Amino acid sequence: MIADETHKQETHKQTDSRPRRRFWSRGPRPPLFAYLAVSPTLVFVALIVGMPLVYSVWLAVHKANPITRKNTFVGLDNFRFVLSETSFWNAFGRTAHFVGFSLVGTTILGIAIALVLHEPFRGRGFMRSVMLVPWAMAPVSIGVLWSFIYAGDIGTLNGLLHDLGLGFLATAWLGDGNRALNLVALTHVWNQTPLTALMVLAGLQSMPASLHKAAMLDGAGPVTRFFRITLPWLKPTLLFVSIIATINALMAFDIIWIMTRGGPGEATTVFAWLGYVYSFQFLRFGEGAAMLYLLTGLSFLMAVFYVLVLGPRRSRHQAIPAATALDDDVAVRSPRPYSIKVPPTREPLVSPALRAVLARLGFRALVLTIFLWSALPVMLLILMSITPASDLIRVPPSAIPSALTFDNFRAVLFPEGGTTSVQAKRVPLSLLNSLIVGAVSVAIALAVTPFAGYVFARWPRARLFQGGLWSMLFTRMTPALTLVLPFFVIYRTLGLIDTHIGLVIAHLSILLPLIAWMMKSTFEGVPKSLDSAARIDGCSHMQMMLRVLLPVIRPGLMAAAIFGFLVSWNEFLFAVILTSTPDAQTIPVVLSGFLAQARFHEYGPMFAASVLSVLPPVVVAFVFQRYLVEGALSGAVKG
Amino acid sequence: MSAAVTIDNVVKDYGPVRVLHGLQLDIREGEFVSLLGPSGCGKSTLLYCVAGLEQISSGRILFDGRDMAALGSRERNIALVFQDYALYPHMTVRENIAFPLRRLKVDRKTIEGQVAWAAETLGLAALLERMPSDLSGGQRQRVAVGRAIVRNPAALLMDEPLSNLDAALRVHMRTEIKRLASDLGLTVLFVTHDQEEAMVMSDRIAVLSQGHLQQFAAPMDVYRNPANRFVAEFIGSPKMNLLPSPDRADILLGLRPHDLTPAGPQDGEDAFSLAGTIALIEPAGPQYFLDVLVGGQLVRATASEIDNLSNGSEVRLSAPAHRVYRFDVATGDAL
Ligand SMILES: Nc1ncnc2c1ncn2[C@@H]1O[C@H](COP(=O)(O)OP(=O)(O)OP(=O)(O)O)[C@@H](O)[C@H]1O
Ligand SMILES: [Mg+2]
Repeated sequence: MIADETHKQETHKQTDSRPRRRFWSRGPRPPLFAYLAVSPTLVFVALIVGMPLVYSVWLAVHKANPITRKNTFVGLDNFRFVLSETSFWNAFGRTAHFVGFSLVGTTILGIAIALVLHEPFRGRGFMRSVMLVPWAMAPVSIGVLWSFIYAGDIGTLNGLLHDLGLGFLATAWLGDGNRALNLVALTHVWNQTPLTALMVLAGLQSMPASLHKAAMLDGAGPVTRFFRITLPWLKPTLLFVSIIATINALMAFDIIWIMTRGGPGEATTVFAWLGYVYSFQFLRFGEGAAMLYLLTGLSFLMAVFYVLVLGPRRSRHQAIPAATALDDDVAVRSPRPYSIKVPPTREPLVSPALRAVLARLGFRALVLTIFLWSALPVMLLILMSITPASDLIRVPPSAIPSALTFDNFRAVLFPEGGTTSVQAKRVPLSLLNSLIVGAVSVAIALAVTPFAGYVFARWPRARLFQGGLWSMLFTRMTPALTLVLPFFVIYRTLGLIDTHIGLVIAHLSILLPLIAWMMKSTFEGVPKSLDSAARIDGCSHMQMMLRVLLPVIRPGLMAAAIFGFLVSWNEFLFAVILTSTPDAQTIPVVLSGFLAQARFHEYGPMFAASVLSVLPPVVVAFVFQRYLVEGALSGAVKG
Repeated sequence: MSAAVTIDNVVKDYGPVRVLHGLQLDIREGEFVSLLGPSGCGKSTLLYCVAGLEQISSGRILFDGRDMAALGSRERNIALVFQDYALYPHMTVRENIAFPLRRLKVDRKTIEGQVAWAAETLGLAALLERMPSDLSGGQRQRVAVGRAIVRNPAALLMDEPLSNLDAALRVHMRTEIKRLASDLGLTVLFVTHDQEEAMVMSDRIAVLSQGHLQQFAAPMDVYRNPANRFVAEFIGSPKMNLLPSPDRADILLGLRPHDLTPAGPQDGEDAFSLAGTIALIEPAGPQYFLDVLVGGQLVRATASEIDNLSNGSEVRLSAPAHRVYRFDVATGDAL
């Protein structure tokens, strides 16, 4: 009978378990070409990520005397010291709060947005682009925007309240400690939700439609289907998303720098900020490094925890009883024991037609909400940039401008035209710097990583390559703060501070692992037979790459280039620490400079500069939405 | 018990495209009906309409005389076996089979009993704790069937459930399914584009083409008395030969290759016959297929022996007169 097929499969499984090979020779030996192809990337990464990391480990086990400049080996003392500090444990509590808030917020909102944008409706592509905007923006621009919205006397939120006659509710929103932490976390959620939504969307798209149809026929309603079908299907996606969201929340730094600088008091001093304070304000490099390594450890532990909780479920293999139903042809079948009657159906309360109308209206409302959530703050930013500078510091504040003007843009784009603002004069050069650094970093990364990605994808089991891949992943879990300190010290000795090349190298430390990983995923989607075909047609390995494979993965290269450029354009930490004069400062640094100087009359130019800084990412989100989705699919998930 | 399913003048439009053109099918309780037709003719669409997964544009669908228009797919008590089986990937085989019963809030003992019975019936007892990803194609197919039969569905719909299986297993499974359906007295709507499958399994076959019902009749009726040229060509392998009638321009003659054999002395007076040159001889196991060139047209015939036949040799073919079909050239209808 049917069961003999089972039997066949069992025996097949047994014969399949050949004796294992020796552990060091996993899979076929990679050709020399593979080693050559992967080496530029690995060497680069070892130099610009590995070396600084080693140096920071060295720092973590030494104590530096800032006066005598002498370092003494202290073993794990720095760690012991950090762990005994109350400020550390307070920061730990705040970090937990921040991460928890962000994780819950991004997951719930991200899933909700993805569910809505998964449905077909007119304008869906446009809405997906709009949804991506908060994520494409630089955290610095986001910080600038939201800190002005929340600002005390002159903030937009208070202005709005005054306009609505609710002036008595106005308050210094970031003035209260606990509220400040929540508001910063909310801003982080606003920034990060699109990433979750994007990945969940990808997960939903891979779900076969027949699953929901089957569940519907099996009597499951929409709620049951969400919890019993959709969520379990998304589990692997959610695992990945949780890990990324947690790392990004743990590492959140730019927003805090711009919005609260750890304050008021210490209310928003999370781990990453404390590590920064120790390293760059107290100049206690050892303790700072130790703290940042604890942060790395925490990321890693959380990742392991998620894998354990959300990891894949396996079959429990039963011992197969020797003679149950395995013999052919059961002549007499036992009758079905129960006859399951379906309860008589009630006539529906609302007519199907009315229900359809209500559902449509509800859906429209959801789409509108997503639009407002994603686009309203950005539109505010644009509005503020064309508001006369004097309007922005009115007391009582108002969200309605008295006039519209392009003066602010004139001030930052044509500084010779007589602006008094020092900071505004720096904007054009900083835009150029951002462009140069972004373009050069991406070009270098794209020149080397496709080869490495190819090797990682084709020989995933070779020891050396596996190690390389894991170390790339590990760098993702290391806060950039850990690297920036060694970079700073090394650059000072080499005279690379304030140079474009210095920034390019620093940005490559982020881009190389990121893009190599993307390239690996891209090549995994290219059938191996294509390699063989090219080889049989007489291509050398190099020709195979250049003539056949690279053209095939052009969309992937495109996605990587866009991603890489966005990351570099939006990057703040390296840029601010490794530059001190306008020569090489990028736009986020100049933006943050506006805030640091806190001259009221400069708010207008500041917003104009913010708009200029978010323009390229927003344009990219709209024009290349498709590529961004692809990029998210291939694992490019840098905050 | 299963229900009688009436499909009354059902029309289905996808936007401006009409996919089903007023289908009319009366399916009796416990009947096994195959929907047969080329790809894209609307078979799956019809199933989805019956299941309530798609709204029909006009017409009615009745179960035991009750109009289903107001009922969603949840309330219709339909079981559907999908072409890709649609097993819930995160549930074990046991949970998959129990899922519809859970939704009906059946008590645990009943669920256990039903699942055990389904597993035993389908030879799945040893696999109950496995995840679907650890099953072979045939095993998955059985789990999908199990999930469909643990309750008493008003009708069991199957959308090409066997098309992903290898040939031997497919032949095996079709008898199994047929037997199970008749044991349980299920009304079955079985979609396939494999005519042999439809022939051996069904009580009646509904032949569809581009959303139109071509014929709805018992298998041998469809084979022996095709309603029109489409059915005649679609059913039967190799395809029926169509030749211009020698005496009337508005008529086509249809001859099944199996009815057309080299003429022998035993042919009666009224036998239909043709003469031509053999172009190709293909051995096909029990018989040979002959491609014969008759007046510029290739005609297929069969022969059990080819002792005195070879490529290029002249041959006279004949068929019994009652096996010659006649079709109207303009409408394609059988005459
Ligand atoms: N959601 C849809 N929107 C528009 N047209 C559709 C949709 N679903 C199906 N169609 C069209 O309806 C027609 C019938 O499709 P259906 O899936 O019912 O065919 P089928 O007979 O099941 O074919 P197959 O044997 O390939 O499964 C096809 O032409 C198809 O393109
Ligand atoms: Mg179909």
